[in-house]
Amino acid sequence: MSGQYHRSHSRAWFLERPGYIRFMIRELTSFFVAAYLVVLILTLGRAAAGEAALAEWLQALSGTGWMVAHGVALVMAVWHAVTWFKAVPQAMPIFIGEKKLDAPVAAVLMGYGPWLTVTAGVVWWAVR
Amino acid sequence: MSGAARGGGKGGRPARPSSEAFWWALFSAGGVMAALFVPAFILTTGFLLPSSDAMAAAGGAGKVAAAVGWWPVRVAIFGIVALSLFHCAHRIRHTLMDLGLRRAGGVLKVLCYGGAAAGCVWLGAVLARV
Amino acid sequence: MSDSKTITLELFRYHPETDSEPRFQSYEVPYDEDWVVLDAINWIKDYVDGSVTHRWSCRMGVCGSCGMMVNGEPKLTCAAFLKSYYPFPVRVEPLVNFPVERDLVVDMDGFMEKLRDVKPYIIRDDVNDTSQGEYRQSPAELAQYKQYSMCINCMLCYSACPVVGHEEEFLGPAALALGHRYNKDSRDRGKSERMEVMLSNEAMWGCTFVGECSVVCPKHVDPAGAIQQAKAMGAQEYFKRFVMPRGAGTKGAGASRGAGA
Repeated sequence: MSGQYHRSHSRAWFLERPGYIRFMIRELTSFFVAAYLVVLILTLGRAAAGEAALAEWLQALSGTGWMVAHGVALVMAVWHAVTWFKAVPQAMPIFIGEKKLDAPVAAVLMGYGPWLTVTAGVVWWAVR
Repeated sequence: MSGAARGGGKGGRPARPSSEAFWWALFSAGGVMAALFVPAFILTTGFLLPSSDAMAAAGGAGKVAAAVGWWPVRVAIFGIVALSLFHCAHRIRHTLMDLGLRRAGGVLKVLCYGGAAAGCVWLGAVLARV
Repeated sequence: MSDSKTITLELFRYHPETDSEPRFQSYEVPYDEDWVVLDAINWIKDYVDGSVTHRWSCRMGVCGSCGMMVNGEPKLTCAAFLKSYYPFPVRVEPLVNFPVERDLVVDMDGFMEKLRDVKPYIIRDDVNDTSQGEYRQSPAELAQYKQYSMCINCMLCYSACPVVGHEEEFLGPAALALGHRYNKDSRDRGKSERMEVMLSNEAMWGCTFVGECSVVCPKHVDPAGAIQQAKAMGAQEYFKRFVMPRGAGTKGAGASRGAGA
């Protein structure tokens, strides 16, 4: 229809609202998680190559550069988890009769609780 | 009226079933896996194992390799990492589309999911040898 | 009324018969702390410039027709108090992500089409005569969809959604939430029909859960949550086709699904 005015979109739309910036940060975490997963596969590869290879690789990982990189990845992965657990009650509401379970309770039940259990389990498995 | 043309199939025909449902399912399952496991994995392989004290406590690299070598652990690691890879691929693809690469959607799909699939093959090959 | 305090309103002006580009026009409006932005626009139209064009009706947050961008934020202007902005100017624009018809009025035909596509009404073949009694629903069944039925079609969520702005085929927050509302209604049998539309490539899956639709919703509908639930439902539907091909277990629309899965 002629006569209508169509406003164009900014290429930098993601800076227009604080919520958009939070969204971009959340999405960005997946890049760091993916990068870490590649490093994890490398680590598993070293484990497959033998004890000496793994020891040498872990020695390299104890360097400052790798520590910083893992630190950044950890922050990003934790933020990924936190934002995921925030989304879970919205995406999977639990009803008890006619009452929806409060979001914080649902987040603990379906997110933070299992998260702590899993984290403790993995760390125990690795260092036991 | 043009009402039927939007969103659904043109001219009242049923819409083409979308593979997006499949990718979203992988994304969703992978999101759970990544949220639950990846921080713990980073803590372990990024900090605990490389620090010599923990390594000593763990009985050296040999014990770590043996721990990963137990087949249920290998299967679990494969599932967790593979799904997490597809989770990341899906998110990166959609974010790039939102950032203006919508017209390159087909290429992005191949690159992102292809990358995740390649990662899975690599992971599988590595885990088979552990 | 109050004393001689005033507040500046900058209104987006666009008259297609004379303007090729929009412009902003400033008006000094008497400031009253009980006034909302809509009161100020109505005052301008009544006393200063009758050519200002805007939509409104109930002025109490029910009709959903006075949605506009107020200082860049999608708002019901009947619920945006001047005192939240005073003494600074208030800039009012038509809702973004919609074509502008005239001044503050947008073309909502696209939205209406999307709404129609999700079939936002109860679908079932066996419509009983009223003499046979009501279709009963328990409070628990009502709770499943009640939140999503509160939508007033004000379209603020469409202005808050970046995907709406970038993907024309995306059905958008309100339409998807309303589709989900009927999919969750225990009296409804039309889920598979609605899923035909919702499962198509860009209709629903373009949503990246930015979540701002739920932030701006004046009725706390939480369309973002509804869409994620609809996606989960869609994924189930998708995998069901491998197990039960050709719309088994569905009604009516199953036959039109065509071959292949």
